[in-house]
Amino acid sequence: MTKDPNKGYIALLGWSLNAVEAAETFDRRYIVVAPDWAEEYCQQHNIPYLSWNFERLNDRSMEIAETLKEKGVDVAIPLFEETVEWAGAINSVLLDNPRLYGQSLLLRDKALMKRRAQLGGIRVGIFEEAHDKEDVVRFLKRVNQTLLKLDGDPNDPIHLKAFDKAGCLGHRVIRTPDEVDTIPDEEFPVLMESHLDGWEFAVEAWIHNGKIVFLNVSEYVTLGYSVFVPASPELEKYRAQIHAQIEKLIKAFDIEFGLIHPEYFVTSDGEMYFGEVAYRPPGFKVFELLERVYGFNAYQASMLVFDPNSTEEEVKAFFPKEVVDADGFAGCFGVYPRRRVVSELRIPEEVEDHPYFESHELTPPAEETVTKRTAFGTHWGLVYFRGEDAHTLRDTLKAQEDLDYYI
Amino acid sequence: MTPNSNLQSPGADLLPGLLKKLDNATQQLGDAPDFAKPARLQPVMDIARRVLLQTGGCAAIEDRAERLERAGVFAGSDWAQPAILVPSLSGLSLKSADATTVVIEALSQLRMLAVAKSRYLHEGLSPVAARHFLTQVLALNLALLFGAPSEAERETQGRLAQIPRELFQHLATRIGFEHIIDELINEIWRILQQRPIQVEPVKQMITQISLCQSNPEIDLGTSGQGANRLVSALFGPTQACHEDPGVDVYQQRLESMDTAALQYEATGFARAMHDTGLVSPYHAVLLNHLAGQSDQLVAEALGLSATGRDCLLCFHDLIQAIIESSLMPTTAQGIYGLALMLERGILYQPPIAPALWRQLGLTLSDWSQARLFAAFGDSVPYRAKLMESVLSMLGQPLGIGQGNNPTCQSARALSMWSYNDPDYLLQMVTWAARDDEIVMHFEGQRISSKECVAGVAQTLPLDLDAVSLLVVPHLDRIYGEMGRQCIGREGDPHQWINPEFHGWWTGRGFRINVDVATGHLDDLDAFVRHFYASYHPGYNGNQPLIHPQPAGIAITDSAARFIGWHAISILRAATDPNGEMRIYFYNPNNDGGQDWGNDVKVSTAGNGERFGESSLPFAQFASRLYIFHYDPLEHGKLANVTQDELSEVISMIENSWGATRLPPTGAQASQSPTL
Repeated sequence: MTKDPNKGYIALLGWSLNAVEAAETFDRRYIVVAPDWAEEYCQQHNIPYLSWNFERLNDRSMEIAETLKEKGVDVAIPLFEETVEWAGAINSVLLDNPRLYGQSLLLRDKALMKRRAQLGGIRVGIFEEAHDKEDVVRFLKRVNQTLLKLDGDPNDPIHLKAFDKAGCLGHRVIRTPDEVDTIPDEEFPVLMESHLDGWEFAVEAWIHNGKIVFLNVSEYVTLGYSVFVPASPELEKYRAQIHAQIEKLIKAFDIEFGLIHPEYFVTSDGEMYFGEVAYRPPGFKVFELLERVYGFNAYQASMLVFDPNSTEEEVKAFFPKEVVDADGFAGCFGVYPRRRVVSELRIPEEVEDHPYFESHELTPPAEETVTKRTAFGTHWGLVYFRGEDAHTLRDTLKAQEDLDYYI
Repeated sequence: MTPNSNLQSPGADLLPGLLKKLDNATQQLGDAPDFAKPARLQPVMDIARRVLLQTGGCAAIEDRAERLERAGVFAGSDWAQPAILVPSLSGLSLKSADATTVVIEALSQLRMLAVAKSRYLHEGLSPVAARHFLTQVLALNLALLFGAPSEAERETQGRLAQIPRELFQHLATRIGFEHIIDELINEIWRILQQRPIQVEPVKQMITQISLCQSNPEIDLGTSGQGANRLVSALFGPTQACHEDPGVDVYQQRLESMDTAALQYEATGFARAMHDTGLVSPYHAVLLNHLAGQSDQLVAEALGLSATGRDCLLCFHDLIQAIIESSLMPTTAQGIYGLALMLERGILYQPPIAPALWRQLGLTLSDWSQARLFAAFGDSVPYRAKLMESVLSMLGQPLGIGQGNNPTCQSARALSMWSYNDPDYLLQMVTWAARDDEIVMHFEGQRISSKECVAGVAQTLPLDLDAVSLLVVPHLDRIYGEMGRQCIGREGDPHQWINPEFHGWWTGRGFRINVDVATGHLDDLDAFVRHFYASYHPGYNGNQPLIHPQPAGIAITDSAARFIGWHAISILRAATDPNGEMRIYFYNPNNDGGQDWGNDVKVSTAGNGERFGESSLPFAQFASRLYIFHYDPLEHGKLANVTQDELSEVISMIENSWGATRLPPTGAQASQSPTL
């Protein structure tokens, strides 16, 4: 793609092949900033590249910002949770706006994030930091006391999450004090949250000049297993409320541009609870799903709204109209082996023959014994579905949980 | 609540939806920059696989062939250059357990079809070439066209096994059955001209044709006429059995024939057999009927010349015993071996006749019986099965094949012994079949096949003739052990192994043009000149080659890329009918006719080859040679090969298998102007 020198020059922080592909086929200049293991690949394929190892911010952090500035880079986009504060630090230099760094730190720490949301008048569940197992036991008891439970009643669970990890990594559900013992000491400190009975969903919102330019609602069928876009009509009926919630969020975090990926619960009485927010592309390949139904490339959308040179007209022309412009529904399912010992990958015939089944990215098992899952674990690959009807898609995704892909 | 749930109902036509997905995935693949293509390819392959499983899926892919290729489904693979694809490999790809291999092969063939039908103008492939390719593929895989999946295919491929069948049905309908059959007939004749010992695959193909011809649903048009000789040679070569009446009926008919009628039958069988190299089961019935009655008619039935007839009369009792004990309808192929063995006159070598008597009475070990049972079942007496194979080997030394096994060394040794030292071969068969042990010596050290650990082949081969089946595992282990004893020596181990393994006549002088340590080409100039001096009658004082000599070949594919090292034996160097000097050699590979790229095409007939010989013009042969043996006491002097011919050979090496083996200095030298 020929690059337009009048448009922005963008740095992608972290290695994502799909992001690079999107940048390569977009009209903006770009450079990939990634660890040195990506160097050979980039050289081989003529991908503009700058080597950087994203460890904790340190004395040399200014160096990368200044190198990018010298090259004429306008803005940096974080692709992964670990590069969010780097983007904040770099953009505060590139855009001469020191507040951006502080903002990124808020977005990186789940405890700080919740406090800030609370201050902004957003409803959150009960939460607390835990430094050891005793903290967890105390919190579990207190939460259940609040719920007016008596001794012997089954506890409501609590959720434990790492402060600064993406998505489900390190996410545990604790119901009894006994389960607390299974948490390894090195996982502390963690964030503890009360369990909210409700419908969990995620949002991808692209923001330009402080305004939402595109808002997608991603519906979870089962957290950690499956998601689809756009959401079903039942969830989409909350769109106006969700829109208002996101505007509050933008205000609370003072977000002028970029892509945010928050998670919410909506309880049975229609109340929205804020879970957390990330300033980076969502996991579970939601970007791919969006492209499948709306036809736009979500990485390019992010480059567009990050680019300080983008005009409102260009942004407006880029995005389709939410929900009505979607051509069907697209979802994916994360496969976990269900057996302890597996020898081969076999796509179940009912999936193969399902008209909604699109493709999968599973690979044959490398080992026969399946490692026991801790916390929510990591799935072995995604299976993609697309179809005309949200309910059929939802039911299909749900049905996958009872199928063996690895036997 | 779910108005569209009927979409899920089984049996719904999935094709339109799948094609939409395929077009979408193809578009994404096409749009992706080169580095992102690999990730975009998997969905295309996966959806294409499901399309191919649907009725009408092949036609839909044919429609999209050009778009798929342009999007890059073949990029970076062999399939990207359709001109180099080899028809005989297609069947293997289609039977693979790996879905991607099956799908890409199917996509490639449907692409060929679009090209053949001139729907897709391809820059690297003409419609004629595409059509030729497809007819060959179909001819070679008739079983996939007409048969249901075998149990083995089902087990390894599951649902995938349907794809080749859907594909071949589509191809055959589009191209026309009549073209396939004619191509198949040519292919069968080409193979038969090499007179292989193992004719089972050929017989299967002929049976397929015969079934096609008698199937009223298949309209063969005017094609298939050339198959008549093949079908009749197997199923009804003579007047009295032309309608394939069954052996019992034929036996009855023989009882009432007079000499003239028998004479007529005998010549009919002999003609069919020598025409094709195939023997009809009825032939065995006749031969048994004649044996003991009339040597004259037996000679007639074997189609013998004066030499063979003489031999038959001299060893009358032995031949009669062989016919009666070993040549029955199920082992009829041995009749051809017997006839050719008599023609070779080897029975006049004193050890042969007694050795054959020993063979007739040989007690087979349990293990040998088990091996024969595993390969052939027990419908035929083991000893007769083995005798059939012994006769074939002695009659057709150059018809021995290695099967689908990496045991070219052992097959070459068997061929060389049959050719040059037949009583040694018979000794080997006895040791293997009776004693389960073969002993050879390597530089004075005794090597027993019983004590060796493992050979080249990982598993015991089954796709072989009975002799190879019993002897090759022993030879393979001994060969492996000789290799192990050479570990640590500098240079290529074949220089020590070959003479000890094959026989005293193998030259102890040894020349190799690859530096073993670096893998680089080494002193090509002297290597080539030495080879000419040793083997080329124009440079060696017009001395014909006396004994077959083992040699090593760098095998290249049809794009002249290196595939591997291969053992052959050089049989003779002589001028062909056009006056060109050629090397005639034996290739233990099952089909000698191979395209080695850059116009080096191994010929198996039409250039003065005897049955089973392969040949190449001298220079072309030299360009694929990497090892040869010579007698160190002869020819110290390198041949004064003309600069032109020398450069030609060297350039052919450097532009094929040697391309990646140029030594750092060699590359420079070849670039600098002639000094």
